[in-house]
Amino acid sequence: MIRAHQLTKRFGDRNAVDGIDFVVEPGRVTGFLGPNGAGKSTTMRMILGLDAPTSGTVSVNGHRYAASPAPLREIGALLDAHAIHPGRSARDHLRWMAASNGIPTTRVGEVLDLVGLDSVAGQRAGRFSLGMGQRLGIAAAMLGDPPVVVLDEPVNGLDPEGIRWVRTFARQLADEGRTVFISSHLMSEMALMADHLLVIGRGSILADCSMTEFMTDHAASYVRLKAPALGDVANLLSGRGLDVTRVDDEVRVGGLDAASIGDLLFSRGLALHELTLVRSSLEDAFMALTADSVEYHATSASEGAAR
Amino acid sequence: MTATLMESGAVVERTDVRQPGTAAVLRSEWLKLTTVRSTWWTLLATFVLGAGLTVLLCWGNAEWLASPEADESPGSFITWGMMIAQITAVVLGALVVTTEYGTGMIRTTFAAVPARGRVLAAKSLVVVALLFVVGTITALVGYVGGNYFLDREGIGMALEGDVLRAMYGSGLYLAGIGLFTVAVGFLLRHTAGTISIVLALMLILGNMVNLVPGEFGEWLTKLMPGNAGSAISTPVSFNPDLLEPWTGFAVFGLETAALLLLAWVMVRRRDA
Ligand SMILES: Nc1ncnc2c1ncn2[C@@H]1O[C@H](COP(=O)(O)OP(=O)(O)OP(=O)(O)O)[C@@H](O)[C@H]1O
Ligand SMILES: [Mg+2]
Repeated sequence: MIRAHQLTKRFGDRNAVDGIDFVVEPGRVTGFLGPNGAGKSTTMRMILGLDAPTSGTVSVNGHRYAASPAPLREIGALLDAHAIHPGRSARDHLRWMAASNGIPTTRVGEVLDLVGLDSVAGQRAGRFSLGMGQRLGIAAAMLGDPPVVVLDEPVNGLDPEGIRWVRTFARQLADEGRTVFISSHLMSEMALMADHLLVIGRGSILADCSMTEFMTDHAASYVRLKAPALGDVANLLSGRGLDVTRVDDEVRVGGLDAASIGDLLFSRGLALHELTLVRSSLEDAFMALTADSVEYHATSASEGAAR
Repeated sequence: MTATLMESGAVVERTDVRQPGTAAVLRSEWLKLTTVRSTWWTLLATFVLGAGLTVLLCWGNAEWLASPEADESPGSFITWGMMIAQITAVVLGALVVTTEYGTGMIRTTFAAVPARGRVLAAKSLVVVALLFVVGTITALVGYVGGNYFLDREGIGMALEGDVLRAMYGSGLYLAGIGLFTVAVGFLLRHTAGTISIVLALMLILGNMVNLVPGEFGEWLTKLMPGNAGSAISTPVSFNPDLLEPWTGFAVFGLETAALLLLAWVMVRRRDA
């Protein structure tokens, strides 16, 4: 379990992470979602005790990470797959890590098998493809068989096969009862991987809910219609108390299903040229959510300037 | 639900725990050091330059040194190559620290060993041990080769007294230089920056302070780390104004210790 309380990190005069509270529960995959620069990596570095919080606290399994007796057995992390010495072999990289925490060397072979790198373990890591590098990073994270796994954008740059591998792997870890915390800036990816969502934008938590909750709350739908007498149609529908917006040569209606709208217009003798149910994707929902946070900050910034 | 969970917010501090032990961290740093080729290339360079140049210089100057016009002592030549080999110690000391910062691997290191002081200590120890051994062996091989040519001219030196001290003194000096550079590496976190600053300090600035007039300049010259530390690596110094070998090395040791202390404070305070 990871628990953050009023966690804040300030760089210069800007809060990269702005007093956030959250709990990452075991037994499920928690997606940490946010656009570039939202504060995901900074939060993860604070979890690992690499960056000191400006204020607030974050704990892993109930205590500060830096106070852990065997850190790699407490939490496994992949922060940056490129952060390895290019001249050292994958096996040697895992060997020094294992040695530092008193993990038996036999475990190195096990994790190499686990991620499917056993055949190239003797090769210099600098020759690895992006996907192999990510796998090595995940092998390193699993070295101490930790109850908590933190992965920063593990699917970044992976091909579909690699992405599916990471997804299956994360699911398996959660099913084993581990705490799995994965960051991404792709909603589509999280939709397939995460049980729980933590959305961050500009250092603040925008949503903390289950994936299903997020879908029902945020994936809005509306009916798009086109008609020759668009003005009449819009007036009729808004007269019924429906949510109507006119966009160019179409009208978007919320609050009534397509069939009922069609029947209503037919009963008034109004011609219809198009009637479509449009479901906004999760990606759209995520964009809308984070765009709001950007807008909010832009407004407050200009208010500040006006003062 | 989250709210109730958060209300406590308190972080339990563990007092009963033991961090990865110093022995484990040492083993880990030793593995790091010995599993990259750059280490072996650098040490090979130490040996070739340190022993090779000594032999070459002795071979070229033996006849002159034996002649009446000689105004230098053969003792200044018998570890001559170490003056150049110190560059490789700077490179090794820097690489051990700065490649980790360059690649970002330092985060993996500090995540594995949150007690950063132990990482600093372990890196320091493996560098010191390796450079002391390699430096001493290099000096000995240089002595054996160089003394062969000096012997032929009848000015050979026995492996005793100041000559013997210069052998392990060379090991000590290289180890000291490596340690000094480790400290600078943790402070600057940049390979090229670290190597150039230390080399400039040891090789260029150390000679330039000669130009500072008066007693102040004299003392400045004596106290510069490269000048103070290097006297121990040669039986007879080219520069007669330097501090006594052990006094000088003690000064150099204090300077290195001060730098290490600063590095220790900074590495614990700064974000990785
Ligand atoms: N060491 C640092 N010094 C100064 N500013 C920093 C530092 N690290 C991060 N920042 C800033 O903090 C903000 C959050 O960065 P962070 O890397 O945490 O975002 P992120 O959510 O991981 O983004 P991405 O999806 O691009 O990885 C950014 O504005 C970034 O520029
Ligand atoms: Mg990031």
